[in-house]
Amino acid sequence: MKVALGVLAGLSILASTGLASAQADWPRKPVTLVVPYAPGGYTDSVGRITARYLEKALGVSVVVENRAGAGGIIGTAYVAKAAPDGYTLCVCSVGATSVAPVAQKTDYDPMKDLLPISIVSTIPQTVIVGKSLPISNMTELIAYAKANPGKLNYGSSGAGGLMHYSVALFQVRTGTRMTHVPFKGGAPATAAVVSGEVQLSFTNMTDALPQMEADTVRAIAVTSVERSPFAPNLPTVAEAAKLENYSAESWNGIIAPAGTPEPVVKKISDALAKMVDDADAKKAMATAGATGVFTTPAEFKKRIGDELAQWAILVKEMKGGK
Amino acid sequence: MMDVLGLLAHGFTVAGTPQNLFYCLVGALCGTLIGVLPGLGPVATISLLLPATYALDPTGAIIMLAGIYYGAQYGGSTTAILMNIPGESTSVVTALDGHRMAQQGRAGEALAIAAIGSFFAGCVGSLVIALAGPPLAGIAQKFESPDYFSLMLLGLVSAVVLANGSVFRAIAMILLGLLLGLVGSDINSGLTRMTFGFLQLSDGVNFVAIAMGLFGVAEVVSNLETRGEKKGQIARIGSLWPSMKTLLATKWAVMRGTLMGIAFGILPGGGATVASFSAYALEKKIARDPSRFGNGAAEGVAAPEAANNAAAQTSFVPLLTLGIPTSATMALMIGALTLHGIAPGPMVLTRQPDLFWGLIASMFIGNLMLVVINLPMIGLWVKLLNIPYRMLFLVILVISGIGVYSVNNSVFDVYLTLAFGLLGYILRKLDAEPAPLLMGFVLGPPMEENIRRSLIISQGDFMVFLQRPISLTLLLAAAALLISVALPFIRKRRVEVFKDESAI
Repeated sequence: MKVALGVLAGLSILASTGLASAQADWPRKPVTLVVPYAPGGYTDSVGRITARYLEKALGVSVVVENRAGAGGIIGTAYVAKAAPDGYTLCVCSVGATSVAPVAQKTDYDPMKDLLPISIVSTIPQTVIVGKSLPISNMTELIAYAKANPGKLNYGSSGAGGLMHYSVALFQVRTGTRMTHVPFKGGAPATAAVVSGEVQLSFTNMTDALPQMEADTVRAIAVTSVERSPFAPNLPTVAEAAKLENYSAESWNGIIAPAGTPEPVVKKISDALAKMVDDADAKKAMATAGATGVFTTPAEFKKRIGDELAQWAILVKEMKGGK
Repeated sequence: MMDVLGLLAHGFTVAGTPQNLFYCLVGALCGTLIGVLPGLGPVATISLLLPATYALDPTGAIIMLAGIYYGAQYGGSTTAILMNIPGESTSVVTALDGHRMAQQGRAGEALAIAAIGSFFAGCVGSLVIALAGPPLAGIAQKFESPDYFSLMLLGLVSAVVLANGSVFRAIAMILLGLLLGLVGSDINSGLTRMTFGFLQLSDGVNFVAIAMGLFGVAEVVSNLETRGEKKGQIARIGSLWPSMKTLLATKWAVMRGTLMGIAFGILPGGGATVASFSAYALEKKIARDPSRFGNGAAEGVAAPEAANNAAAQTSFVPLLTLGIPTSATMALMIGALTLHGIAPGPMVLTRQPDLFWGLIASMFIGNLMLVVINLPMIGLWVKLLNIPYRMLFLVILVISGIGVYSVNNSVFDVYLTLAFGLLGYILRKLDAEPAPLLMGFVLGPPMEENIRRSLIISQGDFMVFLQRPISLTLLLAAAALLISVALPFIRKRRVEVFKDESAI
């Protein structure tokens, strides 16, 4: 008995020192970077660019693992439940982190179960309208929507997605009413604006840019807090429509399971801080249509908190309004 | 025309990269292999290989999968001629005269005619895609939601009309497919439905799991039951060079077969099997001496072989331009493209010109490869028939297990595959074709999406489907098809002729 206890005590000491040294000399084995979407998509590209950089910076291989499903919820939930040892990380996105937890049920609480490390890329949405509409700026859009309630159809990538909620938020804030027409993905929704099947869309800039270049749609604003370097002459919705704090931006960020040791988080954060200036990573991000970004863990956490609050109010109003 | 040539030339630079040449060769080899082996068809093979293409770029993937499909048309004729065992349902009629020729000591001649006919038809078929693709895609770009709905409806109706066996069963299978397609998230509210609380089902049932289960696993299981007794005599091959006289005599048969194949490939619900049966029937009908057929008529080999290969190529036209599958094989191609985030349809031509033109160019290259693979190496392929099936099936099951897991790293999908394997086996026992089920599953979700979107935009007015000329035309075509199946004359022909290529 005593022997057994002694062994147990010895083991636990060993285990605790093992844990401490595991933190100090992290990483000692390959790190898994979960992409909660299918390969080939936008988040997947961002994930692979990040993995390639981290591999170089950390000196171990970083394996990308796609766990797609339920708009990113499945992969994000998987990471939320993973061992918080720094060997399982997630390239999460705004949908599953900031929107889904308030819009539907997820078995993780982003503020409690996730440890945000840094946003790595952002894409603003672009407000595009059909060329046949007599609308060339946000003020005219609001006036037109008010004069023709329910007449304007807006395309989205699907119910509950950012392309839907950003317009829903816009309607609540401006007192307008338009008809929601969901598509399967942002690209067909953008194509529908081109063909005239719907009149407008708050669509991802990656989908909007080629159409803007081909002059098949009219872009009138971006939804981010600041103007986008990809289209610097477009005002933000906040400034053009006088909507303070209006922000709907698609981001991808590296998130660890809550409880991941501080030194590990610092190592990853330090590496990501350098990635944003790395020429190769920058170029790769631009090719994918993204802007490389760095935030501190605290900034990232605050942002998720703000977004959750913004969408929670909206969801409440949408439910109450019906 | 010059435009097309320029684009085609660009396609050759895409298809001609060492990487894509390799995928083309792998596809052609795989196709020949499964064509030679009775019991394994292109549908099963493509569904088994779907997850593997995940690692490739979309162009390479589709080049390889297409190679399997038309490669099987070549391989299938080999065993049909030499052993009277059609490797594919598309070669059933080839065996009639081809094996007789072999028995008369003209096996080499029959094989050469089949290969040359296939090659010619394959090249013409590819040319048709190149020429017909862009204008068709141009029309398709005018499509709005109501038109898409009507198009999908037409596709489903043709799947019923042209399915093998009982119309009742075909409708039942389509409905089952539509039901399975409903599982997932409601597009307008984002709420999940029919998922029984499984989060893994909230994006719908995994396409790879369904296809692999219904076609791959179920095929293995039912083959295990019946395999073993089919061992035929292998005829001696003899000279591989047909006499000039025979070649000239089959010239027109090849032309007619090619035309039949092109037409049946483009029509929804057609496909290579129907094309080869019809081409044979036509040859027999117009021959001066019909009694030669069944007794080693070279035309009876040339025409159906040309037809099945031409149809295998041109069935890509509706897929790549309209985004609708004309057969189970094409439904799998949709799945493959979707896995890579490409929505098949008119946008493929403008957004993915490399894929479109690369695929067409690869078909020319692939057809040439196939002639080389098939003629000199024929002895090797015949030897393959000695592989014990129990080993082969074991390998197939293990590969499919790994494959389906690797798509989403999800064990749930492996269980799903098993469940669908069981369903597929039961359906086979009930003589119910799984092909219409797959068509329903693939066409159902976009059909729902488009009808609901049409009605949102029209504010609930169903007249929108009749007011748009494209939509109206498609609906009328669907109605005409439905009426035609009720006519006794066509019904009789249908029973004789129509067998979907997945019916192997």
